[in-house]
Amino acid sequence: MLKFILKKLAMMIPMLLVISLLVFLGLRSTGIDPITFMVPPEVQSQSPEIVEQLREELGLNDPLIVQYVRWVGNICKGDLGLTNSGEKISGIIADRLPYTLELSAYAMLFSAVIGISIGIISAIRQNGIVDYIGRVLAVFGQAVPQFLVGILMIWIFAIKLGIFPAANRVSPDATNAFLDAFMHLFLPVTTLTIGMVAVLMRYARNTMLDVLNSDYIKTARSKGIPEWKVYMKHGFRNAMKPVLVILMFRIPALIAGSVVIESVFSYPGIGTTMTNAITNMDYNLVLVITLIIAAVMLVASFMVDVLNAVLDPRVRLGDE
Amino acid sequence: MKNKLVALLLAMTMIASVLAACGGDKPADGSTAESDTPVATEKVLKLALSTNDGSTSDDRVPTPWLNRNMATNLMWRSLLIADSSLTKTSPDLAEVAVSEDGLTYTITLKEGLKWSDGEALDAEDVLWSIDALMAATNKNAIYSAAFGKIVEKTAEGNVITLKLDSPYAAMLDILAQFAILPKHALENADPATIDAADFWKNPVTSGYYMMGELNVGNYFTLVPNPNYEGTPAKIEKVTVSYVSDFLTAAQSGSADYLYGNASDLVEGMSALGNYETINVDVLFYKYFIFNMKGVDGKENEAMQSLAVRQALIKAIDRASLAALYPSAQVINSGVPNSNEAYNGFEYKFDAEAAKNELAASGYDMGRTLRICYYNNDQTSIDLINAVVYYLEQTGIKVEATLSNDGTTDLFTTRDYDIGFKGKSAFSIEEWYTEYMSTDALFANIFGGDTAFDAAVAALSAAATPEAKAAALKDLQKLEQDNMYKVPVFTVGNCVFLSDKVAVPSGVEFCNPLYSCDLDFANWDLK
Amino acid sequence: MSNTNTMSIKEQNKSAASSLMKKNIRKFLRNKLAVFGLVVIVAITIACVAAAIMGIDYSTPNMTMMKKPPSSEFLFGTDTIGRDLLARVLFGGCYSIFIGVFCAVMSSVVGAVLGAIAGYFGGKVDMLLIRLSEIFQAFPQLVLVMMLVAILGERSMGNMLFVFIVTGWMTTFRMVRNEFMSLKGETYVKVCEAFGMSKINIMFKQILPNVLTPIIVSTTTNVAYFILQEASLSFIGLGVADSTPTWGNILNAAKSLQVVQNQWWIWVFPGAAISLFVLAINFLGDGLRDVLDAKQQ
Repeated sequence: MLKFILKKLAMMIPMLLVISLLVFLGLRSTGIDPITFMVPPEVQSQSPEIVEQLREELGLNDPLIVQYVRWVGNICKGDLGLTNSGEKISGIIADRLPYTLELSAYAMLFSAVIGISIGIISAIRQNGIVDYIGRVLAVFGQAVPQFLVGILMIWIFAIKLGIFPAANRVSPDATNAFLDAFMHLFLPVTTLTIGMVAVLMRYARNTMLDVLNSDYIKTARSKGIPEWKVYMKHGFRNAMKPVLVILMFRIPALIAGSVVIESVFSYPGIGTTMTNAITNMDYNLVLVITLIIAAVMLVASFMVDVLNAVLDPRVRLGDE
Repeated sequence: MKNKLVALLLAMTMIASVLAACGGDKPADGSTAESDTPVATEKVLKLALSTNDGSTSDDRVPTPWLNRNMATNLMWRSLLIADSSLTKTSPDLAEVAVSEDGLTYTITLKEGLKWSDGEALDAEDVLWSIDALMAATNKNAIYSAAFGKIVEKTAEGNVITLKLDSPYAAMLDILAQFAILPKHALENADPATIDAADFWKNPVTSGYYMMGELNVGNYFTLVPNPNYEGTPAKIEKVTVSYVSDFLTAAQSGSADYLYGNASDLVEGMSALGNYETINVDVLFYKYFIFNMKGVDGKENEAMQSLAVRQALIKAIDRASLAALYPSAQVINSGVPNSNEAYNGFEYKFDAEAAKNELAASGYDMGRTLRICYYNNDQTSIDLINAVVYYLEQTGIKVEATLSNDGTTDLFTTRDYDIGFKGKSAFSIEEWYTEYMSTDALFANIFGGDTAFDAAVAALSAAATPEAKAAALKDLQKLEQDNMYKVPVFTVGNCVFLSDKVAVPSGVEFCNPLYSCDLDFANWDLK
Repeated sequence: MSNTNTMSIKEQNKSAASSLMKKNIRKFLRNKLAVFGLVVIVAITIACVAAAIMGIDYSTPNMTMMKKPPSSEFLFGTDTIGRDLLARVLFGGCYSIFIGVFCAVMSSVVGAVLGAIAGYFGGKVDMLLIRLSEIFQAFPQLVLVMMLVAILGERSMGNMLFVFIVTGWMTTFRMVRNEFMSLKGETYVKVCEAFGMSKINIMFKQILPNVLTPIIVSTTTNVAYFILQEASLSFIGLGVADSTPTWGNILNAAKSLQVVQNQWWIWVFPGAAISLFVLAINFLGDGLRDVLDAKQQ
């Protein structure tokens, strides 16, 4: 088991390196010169020698591969570099990443809880009211663009009813940090959850149905075990494994969703930062953020592998 | 192993559902808590900064050297202070005397001025601020245009002397806008990217307020500056939220003071019962610029022909575009049509003629015409879409690019044919100084053409209204003959005040992107 | 004798196939949602294409008719610069449906070809392609799209199509590759190889038809996915240039809360068009899965 985990972990580093190299080369090949953002236009046109000197200082004249190695070296030392406007990227990440993690963690938790419970209930009570509501929800959750859901949420709950704030993550006049967090997170988390829950619900319902139709459940029932116990002990337990895996697979959708949702709710997370960095052509920042996202994704797929291995020993054996 | 895992999961699920259930009750708690907060009787003025117009990011206080706004006006003072016309000044940090030939400015700083951190505010700060501005990338060109005239500056005690190479009529007005920043807190920052220095996360100030706390991505607060030597403001605290949309901020009650001129905002704000709309008469130009030629001599070939430019402008129905703004007036030069000096010339809209003239002009009809603009509010996007439509009617391909960094894209990258921009000016002169061959920005697209220099100098030097009108007439002729810039319209601005704010009587608002005397010390909250 | 025999086998096959086809169609028709989906898709597509062929005017701004509510003259009302919203939604449909269908089909083709190559040849080629797909999958698609938009710089239609195809082939690739891995050991493949049939022939004529079913289903659902993706990209300002009226760009007007509150028709109609079309595609996809999925038969 340990060997398996170590092997998977070791795979991640070359993957990250290749990804970062590709992104680095890709962004550098755009021909956008970071100097244009760093020097006043009149200096650029009137004293090109200053520009040239700066270029030399920043190492922009070195071959790309040398620049890449230096960039990776700096990252290993914990220096994430500077944005076009000269800010420390590490500071930006430290400010924004926690907000995004918070948003996605809650969305993940709620979509898991809600999706799995509705899925299971609708499997047990097929064609019942929960099943029906769940199916309608799933259908609309997948069809209506997420940002439109978000905008309507703002309109109804923030402006018409005035219950929740329309934007940001912290209010200047907050008296209770927990309550303030709850108020600000409620709408974006709900919007993300609506988008996420549909797939989980469907999946949970199907696996639970498979399990409930299996022989050992029938055996358990025939033994006279109470119905709820059959569901909880035998059904739920066995249906959980694949659902858990699918949960990990939803992480990309979650990240993509938060990029859009953060923009809708002016939420100061990594997603808005990424969007702005792209439109501002701030490629150092784009590089670091994509690297972080790639790392998160690799960890997620690593967790899928490990979970699979834990739940199903054949995977592990097959791999070796 | 398996059992434990499942048990763990179950436990987590249960905790989560409990949390979710509790969560469901919270809105009720929220509303009661809100009704509790007024217990703190602190007077808080709520301001908002837009992160959507490119003027600020949400992790620092924006530099006052680009645009001024209410928040930074409360934090930094200038040597002089302007009235609402922005062209009459009175002493603030200093008194300024101008020599008769208009070449020497003698600035006498008040005694005993202090920064919010207790350090002395002295002549060194003023001299450093001027130098630092010139080295900064992100700045308003009005300052660099004015300070570019300074050939010599000296300080003795608290008296500063500035010597100019030629008179600059608007110098006092500029000094009334230019915020003096603390040398001791900023001198170690990289001058080019000074607006991104750590200073702006916890700045040292000279105005009514100083920094309370900054919450990155959300807001900052202002608390009274104990070292402010004038009458302290009645309002005890100011919060400044970073928002992406002013209307949403107003509707959700997080801003007491807002401004803007887009029709969406104006309509939306007047529909809200608890805000007063104050129309502000400002000289705000919306105009097209043609990318002609770089100072390096590189020409944008497609735009060189005057006939092409005339045909393109003829294709655009500017009167219809003006309908997008509630208070837009179509103009045909830097001089508004209502001004006596207006020469009567008019750019006429004629789609049919435009089509024929463009075809006859030798313009390569297969080429894609590129438009560059930078305002990303819906009204601007609508306007550009309409412009694209009008131009396409002549049979050419048109592509509009929304730039996120207008200054860089318009004046450095220069990958466009027609630019669309706005200019908030003090006076008509400012519109014409953009034609000067020495203008730091426009020289990059007009190729440093010296055709206007003499006429602009004549305008700056004009002492009588008649001389001024004559100079303006010359300039209008020149600009209409050259067609480097084509104005679309001027548009007014609005300030929106919540009914919670009590502004002392007699206060007149000025252009909200500038600084003027609003008697803020006597503002109060109901 | 032998001749007639093979004839009859062929005929038998044919009749068996046609009866399976009939059975499938009947099964499909019983699935009311799937039929509904198909009808909606066909109806919307025909309406959009017809509008485009008739060349209805979607682009003339009319400042005297800004933000007019639906009326007999403008069934869907007018937008913020007085353009006919019905015309725009129909024209936008052409763009959006084209983006969805073209990208879904092309990314499936790319995925299927690469998957066939990887699965059939195995070894180093397989290894390389798998790694490539892993690299692409290391990003959420939206992020990958955003990056490519950044690299390509221009917000043109061609770039958008390219980006969607480049970022959309991996799932099909994996599916096809795995199927090929298991099918290439089958006897009939060995027989074809022994007969000296060309590799391309074996890959695409013999093996590929066996995996066509899941490809068709995933292509269908991908159409919906790309349409939504385009709308999201437009929303964060990285979509096709504003002057192209895709559904996403039309819906962008909903960014302004003033419009959301006071001019419901400006966002309800394009929003409903996207949602209805995506909904229909999802129903159709589910229906097709039920009908075609061998495991459920």
